Amino acid sequence: MRILVVEDERKVADMVSRGLRAERYAVDIAENGDTGWAMAHTYDYDLVILDLRLPGIDGKEVLRRIRARDARTPILVLTARDAMDSKVDTFEAGADDYLTKPFAFAELVVRVKALLRRGPANQSNVVRIGDLEIDRLTQQVSRAGQRIDLTPKEHALLDYLATHRGRVLSRTMIVEHVWDQSFEGLTNIVDVYVRHLRAKIDDPFPVKLIRTVRGTGYRITDEPAQ
Amino acid sequence: MNTSSIRFRLAAWHAVLLTAVFTVLGTLLYFSVRQYLDNTILETQAKRARQIAETLLVDVPKTGEAYVVSEIKSLYSPELSDRFIRVSRSDGSVLYVSGPPADQSFDPSRVPHLEPGNAAESSRLERIDDGRSLLVAAFRAATAGGAPYLVEVGTSAEPVDRFTRHLLTLLALGIPLVLGVAAAGGYIVARKALSPVDKLAKKAEIITQHNLSERLPVTSTGDELERLSVSLNHMITRLDDAFSNSKRFVADASHELRTPLTVIQGELENLVAEGQLAAEMKDRIGGILEDVERLGRIVQKLLALSRLDAGEAQEEWIRLDLAALAAATSDQMLLLAEDRNIKVTRDTDNPVFVMGDRARLKQVVVNLLDNAIKYTDPGGSVRLRVHESSGRGMLEIADTGVGIPPDAVPLVFERFYRVDRDRSHEENGAGLGLAIVKSISVAHGGRVDVESAVGSGSRFIVSLPLAPSKHPLRQNESR
Repeated sequence: MRILVVEDERKVADMVSRGLRAERYAVDIAENGDTGWAMAHTYDYDLVILDLRLPGIDGKEVLRRIRARDARTPILVLTARDAMDSKVDTFEAGADDYLTKPFAFAELVVRVKALLRRGPANQSNVVRIGDLEIDRLTQQVSRAGQRIDLTPKEHALLDYLATHRGRVLSRTMIVEHVWDQSFEGLTNIVDVYVRHLRAKIDDPFPVKLIRTVRGTGYRITDEPAQ
Repeated sequence: MNTSSIRFRLAAWHAVLLTAVFTVLGTLLYFSVRQYLDNTILETQAKRARQIAETLLVDVPKTGEAYVVSEIKSLYSPELSDRFIRVSRSDGSVLYVSGPPADQSFDPSRVPHLEPGNAAESSRLERIDDGRSLLVAAFRAATAGGAPYLVEVGTSAEPVDRFTRHLLTLLALGIPLVLGVAAAGGYIVARKALSPVDKLAKKAEIITQHNLSERLPVTSTGDELERLSVSLNHMITRLDDAFSNSKRFVADASHELRTPLTVIQGELENLVAEGQLAAEMKDRIGGILEDVERLGRIVQKLLALSRLDAGEAQEEWIRLDLAALAAATSDQMLLLAEDRNIKVTRDTDNPVFVMGDRARLKQVVVNLLDNAIKYTDPGGSVRLRVHESSGRGMLEIADTGVGIPPDAVPLVFERFYRVDRDRSHEENGAGLGLAIVKSISVAHGGRVDVESAVGSGSRFIVSLPLAPSKHPLRQNESR
């Protein structure tokens, strides 16, 4: 999988490419709009990560040009502006997703994976993490054969963690996904719900599945703790 | 009538000034007319006295006194022409005095004698005991070789008195009349001239930091008011510039902070993820990450506030049920309250429709509820109520929490203000939550107030204008 990062801030580009390489992606960097457009035009990328504010041709123009030539390649837009009108504009210009700086790298990876997966891949009805079973169709959860009753919010939280099993999800990501943007800044609500969820699916069992990653967020995994 | 208004004071000054001018003019007129009339009459009397002296008395030694008396009677017949004539000898004895006049305007026998003196001619106003007055001219007539005689000729001052009295009446009636007209006229003229001031004041009252782009109406009359409104508009322009500069600064600063924050956050996450670090190091980096995230949230909120200030609040503008929105939002937060053993009661059964942006108004409910829960001790309660009151939609969130000290109440909506620094330091506190509530309320044409008592709790009240009740079809949109 090959990803093009069009970003004029050297350090952001380095950070993003290093992180993505660690996830075993091949990454190219373009430092301005002209190079970005030339590279996207010349090579075949699986994904383009595009900053909107660029020297040379600006991000929106690059976006339009790529879209004019090729409707398939997913494009993830990065921006330091989060005014709604520019968000709407970018979607209209053909962006597939949108991320506002500062963002958690974990979130970037989650979105990149989602864009690359394109469509309902490995969306089997039953997710198993160790002895935990989540049936997405019936919304039933059980562990070691024991039925566990969850509230809708607890279920949404568990489902989100399980969908990205093994991956760290930040509190902000969880709030925006399980609640909505109006709750941003209310990240302590995540801690409370995680505690309640743990009381049901982890506390009665010897192996704890939900892990806290300090400073970053939560993840669910059955790998043994380090 | 406002007695300190300029138009009242202008009219009053106008009236006072005119009163003074008319009084002075009237007094001058009165006295000079009186003087002129007196003088004219006295001159006539003096001429006659001189005539008597020069034609008759000069020859007394030759003709004898009796002749003089009969001549005066026949030539002047003073009784018929209402005149007073008296001729006295130098020893004070009376040679002749006229009888009572036909109109009985005075009694000649009661006219006092002239004080002895040497002046050849004199005139005087005699007041007779019965209140009447007489204008008298006197002339000392020398005789050829004999003792001088004193001739006095007079006439009643009554016509002059009557005339001047009439004049006085005219002035006394006319001046107040003129003044009344002048004061009323002055008031009307001043009001007309100052009516643009009312317009200016009305407009100036509605200009706040949120609509500084508006300007006062300028009347192109070329007068002082035009200059005033132009100057005020220049001042508003300067304020506008200053405000937008500081807003732009906040927006630019938070904007510029985002890229380095992204780098710091991403690199630290990468470090932790690479997995080569000792657990203790990971924990320490985790600590740094927590603060970086917090910083990111503050920057986010500052940007949100500066967007609200810039009037970019409304991403949508729809008719929505505030009660349903508040109920749904509190549903999602109930566990927060339960977790702290706080009871939440709700009174949100009656729909209250307002115009606004769902996400923003939801944020108001989230921030206020979060605060109420955070500052209420376990076992307490929080009450959420949405209702209509005097044509406005009211959202009330009351708690039984710690309350706000009276001196802090006016400050709680200020940016970065925190009542209790130690307490709110816990996790999210940046002191921006209530500032955001206020900005959103104001951007929706509403306001937010707080009532609080230390130890017994606080009550936040957001009041918003109701949506017009016209388009019943559009109600569905808010569902």
